[in-house]
Amino acid sequence: MKKKLVALMLCVMMFIPLLPAGASGVQLRFIDVSPSPARQEYYEKTFAKFREETGISVAYESVPWDDAANKLTILGTSNQLPDVITTWAGWLGQFTAAGWVIPLADYIAGTEDQYTDTVTKLVWKGEKELYGNVYTVPDGMMVKGVFVRKDWAEEEGMDLDPKKGWTYSEYFDAVRKFTNPEKNRYGTSFRGARGAFDPLFVYLQTLTGGRAYADDGSALFNTPEAVAAYETWNGLYLDGNAPKDAINWGFIEMVDNFTGGLTGTLINDSEVAATCITSMKDEQWMVMPMPESDVDGKIYNTVNSPYAYSISASSKNPDAAWQLIEYLTRPDNNIEYCKLTGLIPIKKDVGDDPLYGPDGYYATFMQQLNDPRLVVPCAFGPFSYTDMHQGMMHEEIQKYLLGQQDAKTSLGLVAGELEKRMKQYLADNPGSAVEQPKSLSEE
Amino acid sequence: MSSKMKRNLSTLGRVLLLAAYLLAVILPIYWMVATSLKPHTEIIDAQNLTYIPQNPTTENYEQLFSMYNYGSMVKNSVIISGSTAIVITLLSILSGYAFARYSFKGKGTILLFFLITQMIPGILVIIPLYLIFANAGLINTRFSLFIYYLVVNLPFCAITMRSFFERIPYTLEEAAYVDGCTKWQGLFKIILPIMFPGIVAVFVFAFIGSWNELIAGTIFISTSDMWTVPVGLKSLIGKYDVKWGVLMAGGVLALLPTAIMFAVMQRFVVEGLTSGAVKG
Amino acid sequence: MLWQIALYILLVVILFAAGFRLLRKHEKKNRQLQISKKLEPYLFIMPAFLLLLLAFGYPLVNSVLMSFQNYKLIEPGKVYFNNFANFKNLFSDRDIGLIMRNSFVYVIASVGMQFLLGLILSLALKKKFRGRGVYQAIVFLPWAFSAFVIGLMFRWSFNGEYGVVNDLLIKLGLITEKIAWLGTPGLSLLVVILAMIWMGVPFFAIMYLAALQSIPEDVYEAADIDGCGAVRRFFAITFPYIKPTVIMTLLLRTIWVFNSFDLIVVITGGGPANHSQTLPSYMYTRAFSGYDFGLASALGVVLMVILAVYAVIFLQVTKYNKAGDF
Repeated sequence: MKKKLVALMLCVMMFIPLLPAGASGVQLRFIDVSPSPARQEYYEKTFAKFREETGISVAYESVPWDDAANKLTILGTSNQLPDVITTWAGWLGQFTAAGWVIPLADYIAGTEDQYTDTVTKLVWKGEKELYGNVYTVPDGMMVKGVFVRKDWAEEEGMDLDPKKGWTYSEYFDAVRKFTNPEKNRYGTSFRGARGAFDPLFVYLQTLTGGRAYADDGSALFNTPEAVAAYETWNGLYLDGNAPKDAINWGFIEMVDNFTGGLTGTLINDSEVAATCITSMKDEQWMVMPMPESDVDGKIYNTVNSPYAYSISASSKNPDAAWQLIEYLTRPDNNIEYCKLTGLIPIKKDVGDDPLYGPDGYYATFMQQLNDPRLVVPCAFGPFSYTDMHQGMMHEEIQKYLLGQQDAKTSLGLVAGELEKRMKQYLADNPGSAVEQPKSLSEE
Repeated sequence: MSSKMKRNLSTLGRVLLLAAYLLAVILPIYWMVATSLKPHTEIIDAQNLTYIPQNPTTENYEQLFSMYNYGSMVKNSVIISGSTAIVITLLSILSGYAFARYSFKGKGTILLFFLITQMIPGILVIIPLYLIFANAGLINTRFSLFIYYLVVNLPFCAITMRSFFERIPYTLEEAAYVDGCTKWQGLFKIILPIMFPGIVAVFVFAFIGSWNELIAGTIFISTSDMWTVPVGLKSLIGKYDVKWGVLMAGGVLALLPTAIMFAVMQRFVVEGLTSGAVKG
Repeated sequence: MLWQIALYILLVVILFAAGFRLLRKHEKKNRQLQISKKLEPYLFIMPAFLLLLLAFGYPLVNSVLMSFQNYKLIEPGKVYFNNFANFKNLFSDRDIGLIMRNSFVYVIASVGMQFLLGLILSLALKKKFRGRGVYQAIVFLPWAFSAFVIGLMFRWSFNGEYGVVNDLLIKLGLITEKIAWLGTPGLSLLVVILAMIWMGVPFFAIMYLAALQSIPEDVYEAADIDGCGAVRRFFAITFPYIKPTVIMTLLLRTIWVFNSFDLIVVITGGGPANHSQTLPSYMYTRAFSGYDFGLASALGVVLMVILAVYAVIFLQVTKYNKAGDF
């Protein structure tokens, strides 16, 4: 009998750890959508300091990036979003439409001067145009650039100077030059899977001065010139400047194949520099600015923040949440964060860090941000396009690449659907207007 | 052809078959182990594929523990999968016994319901359960995963347990009843000991079913100290890069407990479920 | 919500307590006789059944309801019945035919091969030989992997450029040019199927091995005396013995595989151009991730209907309902 009792006790004890641990005191919850040991360490350390200064404690939650969108969806649906959430710009359309995040303009009011122009004139201006208010405070800024194999360029006798820049024609030439099947080298990390339309969309807008839609909402990226550009872009793949496999490549393959020495160029965010720094030798890679438009000589480039801070509508302590965001974006905390994650600081008052100087890894990115020719083209629109981003946007490209339909049909279908949604949005929201391209030089 | 030659031929065929299958299983596993012993730069080197690690290193395994707190993930997984498997085994013994030994009104309907639960796409169950757990304050607890793994794995285990019961001749029990045993005594003293291999098998199935589950894990759990092994491994896939080496190291280590269980289980399966019964 | 759960738990406890009291009373009353046969099986099944009913009942009803509703997360105020619009949406997708075909090819090919290989393996393992224990412990391992680790391993090994598969095939002289496994229609689905087979064979093998052990040896001895051939022996003796297990495993495995999307999402993401997309992966990536729960539920209902029809036909054809079990 004794034996049985002990066994029973053991069984019961086994189940005790299943039960929730008791939480005490008022807490803020914070969710990180791109956890890594380094990020978690930074946040937990900063939260501890924050608690010392304000008495507010913050719980760090996280979800693997791959599942982040779905997790936030479920949290949002069930009114369980943490007080402060990290968001990617592409989700904001859904989040604002569903009312999951609250406007921040009132909180920011009066402190705008502290932020760099890229924040105020590009990100926030864009959010106001698209969603009518400011909903995020960037965690750090990133722009795109063309990562290039420096050693290959030298072998081919190419003269690539980041300061001089290049045009799209020059970029395409370089890609073709790099391609050398005998050496098992390809010109570019072409992206055919999810997200394939994103860089192509920027390229198409180099033809239209950065605009996506006319004032009545009709798509501007569906002209015969745009179809020709579509063919040029995808021609890189069809002519063998990327491995055949690339039709199904996503982010990971693009980066792996560049750092792994298969492809010569890679168009991607400055965030990727961190990966290159750890996986490649310094003499192997360099960063060129995004190519200039062949039409007007301007540099069209997206500028955004990867995991911007927002306050959720389900937060019971939005003021405390704002305090936390203010603390996280304080110049000293922000620069520490940006150095850790490979981003560009958001506050003017960051001091002169050599990492962001002319000899640092981020020189080309900083240079683009300071270039008066930089124009941020328009986004897909203020409406929800997640389903298209998950499906037809890249599937239509893949069908073209597989020879199942021609370029005109492929581009036409995507443009048609976007145009339909844009016009619907304009009709549903009287007084709204289509987004305009933005630049730092204009006031 | 003499019968001896025939026998030799069939033995040869069997050996070849078994060898081929072994190869098919081992090659991918070897590749995982080999990758887990390579440094990152060697793994992603597209120009030079190495079949044997050129610079063998244990840094991936070290990182797993020093940076990713693998120990805590294993602890969570063991607690959740272990308790789930225990409860499932108990419940399946009860319901499997009823399914096997009785015919009663509604049996077909109940079995059908068990079957239907398997047809519902998991994600349609997870969302409403999440709402319930959230309101009950059970989010980010091991209990939430325990409940979910319990209900998704239970139907299969109950049905499997039933077929194990059916393989035991009823005459054994009958003899016990004649001797004056009650139903409970008959079940616990006569049948379950014979059934032991089957019970082990069901336990292992339930354990593995919970051990490897990923989607509910990412949705019900929100802090990294509560992550289970698959969720933790998933976090090694970043936006831009995969920590292949660490991931493979984690995959190899995640295999250890289940591998040990298989080693134990296969012995019972080999010995046979009823061999003991026939002898005894 | 909390009180609802408390109520559920209370209900379960009360039912349990009542049931066991009744049982004990009976047992005390007529010790020598058998307990009321009528009540017994229900008592045994009740805990499992109630748990499942609580966990699956609501989601089942709810998803059927949602499938007829406009239920988009980004339009929280606009939930209404929309007259089959979700189903119309679903079946007006240009690629739905392709996706349906992929689903069936995927299920039939992968379950069929898993079954055949698992059966052959279990037959080959039936007879004792030295090292059988170690052998079994190794070849059953794929079942112990998580699908997502297997998926990543396959995605990476079948990479056209730096994948080990192409490299190996070229070194062996089987191919001369690299194959873009994941970028070619047909091949990408094949890779997913291969991964699924690799993972699933042990399941069948374990189940059949367990079933084979229950065949009394003397039946075979009698057959040997009669001079039965191996093939005849299999169909006359072995198969009838393991038939219930075969039916159950095939049925359940088909349902699981049909509903699974993790391998597809990890390995190919459905690409290229939907050539490896199946109904569940479409549901997960498009409808669920696209915030359209109405469409996701409609897909879920379609999935369940297909599976239910399959189950009914399968059980009819195999005459498993003879015993009145299903």
